[in-house]
Amino acid sequence: MSRSTGVRLAVSAALLLALVACSSPTTSSGAAADAPLIVATAGEPDTLNPVLNYGVDGGSLIFDGLVARDERNQLVPALARELPAFSEDGKTVTARLRDAVLFHDGTPLTARDVVFTYQAVLDEKVDSTLRSDLDMLASVAAPDDATVVFTLRYAYVPFLQRLTLGIVPAAAFAGQDINKAGFNRQPIGTGPYRVTSWTPGDRLVLAANDRYWGGRPANSAVVVAFVPDDNVRAQRTRSGDFDAAELPPKLASGFDAQPGYRVYKAPTADYRGVMLPMGNPVTADVAVRRALNAAVDRAAMVNGVLGGAGEPAYGPVPPSSEFADPSVAGNPTADPAAATALLDAAGWRPGPDGIRVKNGTRAAFSLMYPAADSLRKELALAVTADAKKVGIAITPEGLTWDAITPRMASDALIMGYGTPYDPDFVSYKLFHSDFAGQGFFNPGSYASQVTDQALRDGRAEADPARRKAAYATFQRQLATDMPWVFLTYLEHTYVVRDSVNGVVPRVEPHEHDVANSIWWNIHTWTRRS
Amino acid sequence: MTAPTRARRRRRTGAGRVIRNRLLVAVPVLFATSAGMFALGAASPIDPAQQYAGAAAFTTSEENLAQIRANWGIDDPLPVQYLRWLGNLLRGDLGWSTSRHEPVVDVLAARAGWTLLLVGAALVVVLVASLLLGTLAAYRRGGWFDRALRTTAYAIQSVPSFWLGLAAIAVFALSLGWLPAGGLTDITATGTDPLDVAWHLILPVGVLALSQMPWFVLFIRDSVADSLRDDHVLAARARGLPGRTVLFGHALRTGLLPFLTLIGTHLPELVGGAVLVETVFSLPGLGAVTVQAALGSDFPLLAATTLATTVVVLAANLATDLAYAAADPRVRLE
Amino acid sequence: MTAAVLTRVRRLPRLRPGRLGASIAATVLAVAVLACLFAPVLWPLDQSAIDLSQTRLAPSAAHPAGTDDLGRDVLLRSIYGLRVSLLVGVVAALVAAVIGGAVGALAGTIGGWVDRVLMRLVDTIAAMPHLLLGIFIVAMLRPSLGAVVLSVGLTHWLSTARIVRSELLSLRNRPFIDAAVSGGAGRLRVLTRHLLPHVLPRLALATTLMIPHAVWHETALSFLGLGLPPHLASLGNMINDGRGSLLAGAWWASLTPGLLLIVVTLALAALTARWRDRLDPRVRAELQL
Repeated sequence: MSRSTGVRLAVSAALLLALVACSSPTTSSGAAADAPLIVATAGEPDTLNPVLNYGVDGGSLIFDGLVARDERNQLVPALARELPAFSEDGKTVTARLRDAVLFHDGTPLTARDVVFTYQAVLDEKVDSTLRSDLDMLASVAAPDDATVVFTLRYAYVPFLQRLTLGIVPAAAFAGQDINKAGFNRQPIGTGPYRVTSWTPGDRLVLAANDRYWGGRPANSAVVVAFVPDDNVRAQRTRSGDFDAAELPPKLASGFDAQPGYRVYKAPTADYRGVMLPMGNPVTADVAVRRALNAAVDRAAMVNGVLGGAGEPAYGPVPPSSEFADPSVAGNPTADPAAATALLDAAGWRPGPDGIRVKNGTRAAFSLMYPAADSLRKELALAVTADAKKVGIAITPEGLTWDAITPRMASDALIMGYGTPYDPDFVSYKLFHSDFAGQGFFNPGSYASQVTDQALRDGRAEADPARRKAAYATFQRQLATDMPWVFLTYLEHTYVVRDSVNGVVPRVEPHEHDVANSIWWNIHTWTRRS
Repeated sequence: MTAPTRARRRRRTGAGRVIRNRLLVAVPVLFATSAGMFALGAASPIDPAQQYAGAAAFTTSEENLAQIRANWGIDDPLPVQYLRWLGNLLRGDLGWSTSRHEPVVDVLAARAGWTLLLVGAALVVVLVASLLLGTLAAYRRGGWFDRALRTTAYAIQSVPSFWLGLAAIAVFALSLGWLPAGGLTDITATGTDPLDVAWHLILPVGVLALSQMPWFVLFIRDSVADSLRDDHVLAARARGLPGRTVLFGHALRTGLLPFLTLIGTHLPELVGGAVLVETVFSLPGLGAVTVQAALGSDFPLLAATTLATTVVVLAANLATDLAYAAADPRVRLE
Repeated sequence: MTAAVLTRVRRLPRLRPGRLGASIAATVLAVAVLACLFAPVLWPLDQSAIDLSQTRLAPSAAHPAGTDDLGRDVLLRSIYGLRVSLLVGVVAALVAAVIGGAVGALAGTIGGWVDRVLMRLVDTIAAMPHLLLGIFIVAMLRPSLGAVVLSVGLTHWLSTARIVRSELLSLRNRPFIDAAVSGGAGRLRVLTRHLLPHVLPRLALATTLMIPHAVWHETALSFLGLGLPPHLASLGNMINDGRGSLLAGAWWASLTPGLLLIVVTLALAALTARWRDRLDPRVRAELQL
C-alpha cells in the first residue's frame, strides 16, 4: 500500500462517525506470497447452484462434474473414476464414481447426489434453464452407491460433454424449494475451493479446500471481484487492485506497455453475426443475404471494433475446432464489386436515392441489437455502414431483449453465441427447421433439408470420420443459404500480473465469468514473491 | 399538576394526533400510488420469464419458459396478482427479485445500509459546509466571498453529478493517485474495516455532497441575510453585542428553523444523486442494483425499492416537522 | 404549516445575474437554439454512420472537438445530442405543465376535500425520489424517446400543480372574481375568461423553469443506459460512451457534450430566473419554485 496510514487516518476520521454499525475484523494484506489471488470480472452469477445454471460447462472452482476438461478442452474423468461408457445402442451411459470424495461439509459423495442433481434439473417445478439442454435424458438411476446409470431417449453421441455439470449434495436441499434455497448463495460442492462469503455486487471470497480429491490447491484463497462497469474495472486494474482482470480489448491494450502486467488473448468459440429472418421480404432473398456477406468488412471490424482481439467468422464452427471446414472461409475484407454484381444479377437496381429497388420493394430493413451491449451496437453500425456502400439501407435499432423477441421473425438481429465443446451444441437448435420460430431457437425460421439431415447425422453418428463429414456438409450448406452473416470470433482479453505463474488460456465459450474464464485452473496458480 | 408538565403533555398529545392524521392521509395515498405502479407494471409488455433466463434464453425452450411462468403465477388475473402482491408487502414479504434471484428483502437488507451511509454522510457534509459557507456569505453580503460563492454555486448547480464523479475520478484517482477510483473496501480486505470504507467513501461522499450543496448554501445565505435584518437581530446589534454573537446566536438561529424542515423535502433529490454516484464509483448500494433491475425489468425489486424509499422519506419529513414544532412553540402542525 | 413549507420547496435557488451575465446567457442560448434548429440543413448527420479509419482523432481543423472511438465527429454529434435533449426537455416540460396545470386547476377551483386529497397526493409523490420513479417508469415502458418524455413528465408536474393551485386560491377571493360571479357568469366562464389569463403567465414561467430539470433527467437516464437507443447522438449517451475513451487518453469525447450541457442549462436557468424576478415581489414569494 503506497499511501501512508497517517493520511488515511486523518482523512477518514470525519467519516468514521457514520460508520458505527458496519464494522467487523479485517485483515488487509500486501503482496505476500500467501495472500489471496484476486481476479475481476464483469459478470456476476445470479446463483452459485449448478442446477440453476452456474458453471455448467465446468471450471466452476466450487464444484466438479462427473467429467472435466483439460487445457485442450478434452474430456478427462473428474468425479467419475474413468470416462463413462456408452452401451451398444448408445442409449445407456454408466458412470462409476471415484472413491472417498468429500463435500466441503465433510459428507461423502454418493451416487444419490448425482441422481439428485440431474433429477433436479429435469424437475418441472425447478426454474432451471438447463432442462432443454438435457432433452435427451429420460431418466437417471443409482443401482448402488458408486454407480450412476443415465438412460437416453435417443442415441446422443456428445452426451459425455453434458456431464461437466457440477454435483450438489442431496442432503443440503432436504425439504427445501430449490429455486429459493439458501444453498444458492452459500453452496457446498466438492471442488478445489469452498465459499467463504459472497457479497452480491462486490465480491466472492473462496478458500482452498484442503481435502480436495485432486490435491490441495497451490494457493490458500481466491477473491473474485464483481465490477460490471468496464471502465471502472480498468481504472481499478491500473491502480493495482487485481492479479487478473477481464477487460474489453480496447481497454486491455492500454496494459501492453505497462511493466508488471501481461495481456492474454484467449481464443474463443464466441461468435457474433447478423441473423437474417426469412419472414422479411428483403432478407428472404438469398441474393441480398449473399451480397451482405460479401459487403461486410470483417477485417475492419476486427481492428476497429475489437481492437485486434478477434478473427473473421464465416460459420458457427470455430477454426480451432476439429470439425471446422476450411472451405467456407471467405475474403476478410469487403468485396463491394462482388456484392453489387450479386444484387444486379438478382434484379435489385439502384433507385434515385441510391438505395436499390426490386419490383417496388426497397432494399431496406431494420437491424436490432440489445441496447446494453456496446460491442453489438458497434457491429450493427459497422454492418450498416458497409451495406450502405452497396445500396442496402439498414436502420439500426437498440432495444431491450423483451422488445426484440417478438420481432425476430421479421427483423434482422445481431446475435452471438458459440461453444467450443461440440458442434451439436447450440447449432442444432439454431439451424434445424424443427426449431423454426421457437423463441431464440432459429428465430428467422431458416429451413433446409440438407442442413436438417446433416445435423441429425452429426448427432447420431458414432464414427468420427462420418461425423466430421456430416458437419462439413452442414457448414457448406449454411455458407450457401446464408441465414446468418457471421462477422467475427472474439478473443477474450485478460490483463494478468507478471508475478503469477500457471496461467494457461484455453478456448473459451460465449459465457465466461467466475466459471470458465482464464482462471479455470486457478487452483494451480502460484505467485512469485 | 404543575403548569410545565401540562404544557408538555399537551404538546405530546399534539404530536400523537399529528402522527395519526398524517398516517390517515399517507396510507391511502400510498395504496393509490402502489396501485398505480402495479398497473404500470402490468401494462408493461415485458416477459419476466425471459428476463429470468437471460443469456440462457438462447437454449431454453418455450415450454421451459412457460413452466417457469406458471410457477410464478404470472398468468393469474391482474386484481388477484395485485392483491397477492399487496398482501405479501403488508406481511413483510416484498417478493422475489427476478433479476437477482433472491428475495427482495435480502437485496434491500444487503444494500440499503450502504446507500443510507452514503446519503447520511453526504447530508452531514452538506449541512456543516453549507451552514458555514452560507453564514459567512450572508455576513459579508455583496462582498467578494459572497459573489464568488454564489457564482460557484450556480455553476455547480448545472453540472450533473455523474459528470462531476467522472471528473473527480479522472483527477484524484487516475492523475494524482490520491484516492481509490471505486469500490467499497480494499479488494484484499476480508471484512469491512470502517477506516477502509471511509477511505473509499471520500470521493463518492464528496461528489454527492458537492452536487447537492448549492441549493443548501444559497438557502442558508438568503435566510440568514434576511434574518440579519429582523428586528430582534438589529436590536441585538444595537445593544452592542459582538458581531459573531449576533451572527451565530441570533441571525443563524432564526434562519435555521425553516431550513430544518426543508432538509426532509430535499431528501428525494439526494437519493437520486446517490443512484448516479453509486453507479459511477461501483459501490454495492441500492443504486447499482436499481439500474440492473431496470435493465432486467425486475418489477418486484423496482417497486419495492421505490415504495420503501418513499416511506423512509415521508417518515423523515414527519420527524423534521415534529422537531421543528418542538423547537419553535409558535408553530402549529395540522 | 407543512403544506406552506412544502410549497416553498425551491428547485433552483434564486439566481440574479447582472445585465452582462444576462446578455451572455441570452447569446449562448440563442446560438444554441439556432444551431439546433438549422443543424439538419447546415450540417446533415447520418446517425448510424461510422468511420473505422478515423477513430479517436484529437481536435483539429477538420474535427474541432475530435472524433470518438467509432470515428464520428464529436462536435457535430454534440449539437445533435443537444437538439434531442432540448426537444425532450421542452416536450416533457409541456407534458408536466398539462398534468400539473390540470391537477392544480382542479384543486384550486373546486377546493374542499378534492383540494386536500390532491395536495396530499402531490406531497406523497414529492417524497418519491424522482430518479427512482423515473427509472421505474422507463423500465416498465421499455427505454425509448416516448418513455423518457413520459418519465420526465410524470415526475416533474408537482411544483406546477402547486403554483397553479395557490394562484387560483388567491384569485378566488379577489373582488373582480366576486363581481363576475355575482354578474351571473358560469363556473367555466369565470375559469376561462377571468382566471386563466392570470394563471397562464405563471404556468408558462413554471414550464420554462422546468426545462433544465427535464434535460438533466433525460441525460441521467441515458447515462445509465435507460434512455435513448445508444447509437443515437444524445448528450447522456455520448458522456457514457466517452468514458472508455477517457481512459485511453481521448478526453475530448466526453468533455464536449458535458460542457455543452452545462453551459446551455446554466444559461437557460439564469434567463428564466431573471424573468421570475421581474414579476412583482408577492408573486416571487409564491413562485419560489
